[in-house]
Amino acid sequence: MRYPLLHATGIALTLSYGAFVVWVYATQPRTFQDVAQGARVAAGAYKVDAGRFDTALSLFHRGQYRAAREEWERADPARADARTQFYIAYAFYREGWGRLYRDDALYGQGLQAVDRAIALTPAGSLLVADPDLKMRTAAELKAELEKGRERTWSDLNPLRVLEERK
Amino acid sequence: MRDDPVRRQAAARVVLLPLLLLTVALLGGMRVAVDRSFVFLPPPLITLVMAALLYALFLRGRLIRLESWLGSRHGALVNVSHALTLGALFVASAQAFNSVLPEQGLLHWMFAFFFLWTLWNDQFSSFDPFRLLRSLGVLFGTAFVLKHMLLAGLYAPGGSWTRRLAGALFEGLSLGTLEVPAVAPATGYISFFTLALYVAGLALVAPTPDDHGEVRRMLREASQLPPGERRALLDALEEDQRAR
Repeated sequence: MRYPLLHATGIALTLSYGAFVVWVYATQPRTFQDVAQGARVAAGAYKVDAGRFDTALSLFHRGQYRAAREEWERADPARADARTQFYIAYAFYREGWGRLYRDDALYGQGLQAVDRAIALTPAGSLLVADPDLKMRTAAELKAELEKGRERTWSDLNPLRVLEERK
Repeated sequence: MRDDPVRRQAAARVVLLPLLLLTVALLGGMRVAVDRSFVFLPPPLITLVMAALLYALFLRGRLIRLESWLGSRHGALVNVSHALTLGALFVASAQAFNSVLPEQGLLHWMFAFFFLWTLWNDQFSSFDPFRLLRSLGVLFGTAFVLKHMLLAGLYAPGGSWTRRLAGALFEGLSLGTLEVPAVAPATGYISFFTLALYVAGLALVAPTPDDHGEVRRMLREASQLPPGERRALLDALEEDQRAR
């Protein structure tokens, strides 16, 4: 066989480039920035902006849920960090929670965020150690959000006003 | 380092060609929306059918001699390398069609029919690789002009009132079935670049992977000589061989 090294190089380059093409079509980046960000996530070099994350957390603890979410979105633009997505979902839950009603739209968005958080932790369930939160795992949060969107006869129970926000 | 033309040619075929074809696969489905964001459209099923028909033409027109590309006379590494190149050629063909095919509506099906009809008719006509390349150039060129110049011009956002009027008239005549999505002008440039790369890729494809382009060119020129001159050339070659 002539030029084995050349053939091996050709195979390696073709497979890598082919994988990149498939990845682009699968992830559908909208800008060059998205491509670079996606590449960083794929390479494991992606990091959440810690400063923005902390700012968002303090906003969250002060009850500024919408502002906190926006800050978290900026801290994790690739939506690739499970903990940030968990907090975003929690912010949707808290903003959507009412003593007399639950906001379906916000709960729906919360479910999407918590699903992302779960998908980002395939090794096990996500546990967030924050004393301010009454639900510490993604599974608990998801169950609560799903429960809030269900329509049952117990919705008419007047004692529901005594329920506490988690 | 010694400059070896055979090695250079092998490098072009083994490394450059698949990368070129994969670039076509990447850019063939790329559109730039009006807000300048990218949209990547995977190849629709119809383009895969077209690519399969085109592949049949490549084989019939001897642009590719499959038995020389793949087989037991090559080692495993070479076979894998050639199979990847042939696979890249198939995907690139599908994406080249995707690039010039309108995305939806009546025009999508009209263009698809036009392509299928041409490819189907070509299956029954005699071909050589150069005629096939020329024919493909014309086919893609026509589709490109129709989609990216004529239709894009008619449906460009913010055009003159005569252009908007012509677009509305065209839409009305087709009973609103055209559904041409508005895209940024960059889409046309990307499509042009993609087709140019595809044609360049096809020009790099040799009927047999170990074929040397220079020998092919000389053979082609020799075959065009009158019989007397051809005989003289053969005699001269034999004499040269004896002299060595």
